[in-house]
Amino acid sequence: MSGDEHKSAAAKAWHRYAFAAIPAAGLLELGAHVVQTHSVAPDSDWQAARAFVAAHAAPEDLVAFAPRWADPVGREQFGPSVATLEREARADIERFPRAYEVSIRGAHLADLHDWAREDEQRFGGVTVTTWRNRGWVPVIDDLVSHVDPQHMRVSRVQGDHESDCSFSRLSPASGGLGSGPAMPPDRFACPGGSGVSTSVVADLDYYPHRCIYTPAVGSDASVRLRFLDVPLGHSIQGHHALYVEAERKKQGAPVTITFRIGDTTLGSVVHRDGDGWRPFEFDTSAFAGQRADVVADIASPGGQRRYYCFEAITR
Amino acid sequence: MSAPETQSWPARLRSAIALPESVGWRDHVIGAGLAAVYVVWLLATARVLGFPRDEGVYFRAGSQYFNWWHALHERGSDVMRRGMIDSAFSDNHEHPPLMKTLFGASAYFFHQKWEIFRDPTTAFRLPAMCTAGLALWTTYLFGARVWSRRAGLVAAFLLGLMPRVFFHAHLACFDVPIMAMWFWCIYVNWRALETGKITWAIAAGVVYGLALATKHNAWFLPVALIPHALFVRRGAMLAALKRFRISLPANLVAMAILGPLVLFASWPYLWNDTRPRLQWWFDFHMHHEYYNIEFLGKNYFDPPSPKSYLPVMVLATVPSITLLLFAVGAYDRAKEAVRRLDAWARSRLRREAYDATVPRATDTRGEPDLLLALSLGMAVAPFFLSHTPIFGGTKHWLPAYPALALFAGRGFDLAATAMRAALPRLSEPRFRAAQVALFASVVAAPLAETAHSHPFGLSAYVPLVGGTAGGADLGLNRQFWGYTTQNAAAEYLNAKAPSGATVFIDDTTWDAWSHMQNEKRVRGDLRATGTPSDAQIALVQHELHMNEVDYTIWIALGTDAPAYIVRQDGVPIVSVYRRP
Repeated sequence: MSGDEHKSAAAKAWHRYAFAAIPAAGLLELGAHVVQTHSVAPDSDWQAARAFVAAHAAPEDLVAFAPRWADPVGREQFGPSVATLEREARADIERFPRAYEVSIRGAHLADLHDWAREDEQRFGGVTVTTWRNRGWVPVIDDLVSHVDPQHMRVSRVQGDHESDCSFSRLSPASGGLGSGPAMPPDRFACPGGSGVSTSVVADLDYYPHRCIYTPAVGSDASVRLRFLDVPLGHSIQGHHALYVEAERKKQGAPVTITFRIGDTTLGSVVHRDGDGWRPFEFDTSAFAGQRADVVADIASPGGQRRYYCFEAITR
Repeated sequence: MSAPETQSWPARLRSAIALPESVGWRDHVIGAGLAAVYVVWLLATARVLGFPRDEGVYFRAGSQYFNWWHALHERGSDVMRRGMIDSAFSDNHEHPPLMKTLFGASAYFFHQKWEIFRDPTTAFRLPAMCTAGLALWTTYLFGARVWSRRAGLVAAFLLGLMPRVFFHAHLACFDVPIMAMWFWCIYVNWRALETGKITWAIAAGVVYGLALATKHNAWFLPVALIPHALFVRRGAMLAALKRFRISLPANLVAMAILGPLVLFASWPYLWNDTRPRLQWWFDFHMHHEYYNIEFLGKNYFDPPSPKSYLPVMVLATVPSITLLLFAVGAYDRAKEAVRRLDAWARSRLRREAYDATVPRATDTRGEPDLLLALSLGMAVAPFFLSHTPIFGGTKHWLPAYPALALFAGRGFDLAATAMRAALPRLSEPRFRAAQVALFASVVAAPLAETAHSHPFGLSAYVPLVGGTAGGADLGLNRQFWGYTTQNAAAEYLNAKAPSGATVFIDDTTWDAWSHMQNEKRVRGDLRATGTPSDAQIALVQHELHMNEVDYTIWIALGTDAPAYIVRQDGVPIVSVYRRP
């Protein structure tokens, strides 16, 4: 048989039995279904991973879950002492020196792409990867942790008139979908009904961020936050956003935050609808190594659903 | 001695049930059998499925609509006053009344009067389930008539074994009913053209009216049916034109006359202020609000809708073997169409008569290939327009699926024929066994996927994309309408919630919660609330945009750790938080 004849015979045989691709594909799909539905990481794997992370992670380290959809399972399995609000609703990933990434299905967080991989431990279907932040710069102070009467004063400013907002223990304030960020029981309550508290805001991509919730009051009024005795470094770095439902339609008035130390205005930054969770930074080199009160004024020409939230650190 | 007496009893039995070559009443028995089995399966699996937002509205509206008809029967013209009509039919008047009226009638007869179903909601759901059965029945008949019983049978199976079809077939909503009505309309129109009988033409008009009275998708049906009918009747129409006469296909005339009449007769709301109310109905759907949907990790609230939405979602939700068979079948029919077009073009070039003796793979009377292609095309075409809302996910193009399944049935037919040719020495019984094995190989995966998906059909994705977890990896929507609260109750609340606990029910409606408690699906002492801060227990049904509710709960309840998570294949469906 010549080469051509051989090829022709092979082609004929292939053509003849091509129908077998149909049952093969059907059975392959069935097999894939069986494998996929039986390869879920059991709770025991999660608990083994938790024991490892709880034993090794320092308070300043990040613990994060991948893929994103596994985050609720991670919080359920690791509990609030490990999956803390500070870790879950982080402002950014850069302020953590080390990260314990708890993942399933081979997923990794894109944010950790540039970090140095230090270790990897497998606990059945759950993998814990330890990453080191190559460019870590220590945080001196986190202004979000100042939201209490010992470390912060809040007032509402209208023209020359400044009214104090008292720190109170009230019922938590929240609503369902579309209602805005919740307020915890402990918060500053201002005249006119507005308030200031720590909260968690959903950004435009629905990621959570722990921040100081300061709804802008509109017209010619502003909300003034005085952070007491803040240790300062070379900069104040922060992020700000509005609650996703308030800014995604891009119809609201801008919100401006202005930072001052004493009589020195560090600067202002304007948040416009659609900006999302946007970073800002002010130079404080002139005050580096000192402690001082830092004042933040939040103002907006419109008060309609200006559910503004910001966070800041000194470095 | 007569012949039957000489036969053994198995032979006699075989000859008694042997199917003649032509499709007839026995095929209706097969189709009805398929429908009945499917409806029984749906009924048997209905109670584990909670109530989506829309169902509560349709339960209520359905009862009001039916009560009016019932009052008409009992009290006569007294209820014909405008106030009586409007008070009964104003609720949910953005959707036509047929299915809602049937929901209400079913609840009245099968629950209230005859007590066949213990749960009123199962009785409400029955008519939609029956339309799912109707879709399988019609699909089988169409396939059996056009290609073979084997093709029709496989098509009906593959249609019923699509996880999304199975999910929506449970609900007292309109998505599966319009799929059934759409395809019934396609079938009846085809029969009208194929047989040329006036009875089928009249049926086409009536069924189109029923489709109009089911859901507004029916507005698009003429775009498929008119060109098809004109093409089929082109010879007769041209001949009439030469005689200065106009001849229109009878099915189209019937649709134009009887369709609106049936719609009007079934919808008393249109009996007053007909024109403005029709205009409002039209405007409502042409300017429908955009709800959100997650697609590839992004939440779409507004147009433009991504053009890749439909193809990706079809690939991710329809079993891959079904799509493979569809590709084989559709390729075969496209090849046949090209061959016919080529033959026609050559005959025109040579000024020859079209050679009718050229062998044809199938009967082209009524042009079923063209009709199926148009049906499928019209059902999906709107979703390639950037301003068409996509919030309903796959449910809005379900009318495409019977045609898709039929081409898949044709694909199976070709595979079985090829198997026969490849294995010529196989005895007839062994070939039958091989066919059964081939059949099993193509329905096994769809059956396993569909059965496994329940009751989380909206979270179900096929193995091609990695299953439920793969869909979550891709950032595809996991659910909508808040129907999974019942699963949270079954797995956690009913056993572990404190007595009289307040529960934040998130996306679940009060109507749905009330029905679940009335039917003892959710413990009666639990109290629903719409505010997380008022709740001892809070639920969040996972969708991307529900993340904001998740974060609200963290603050309102003072914990970010769920006490329990309803999961499907490890993927969170509902998180249950408990106040520490």
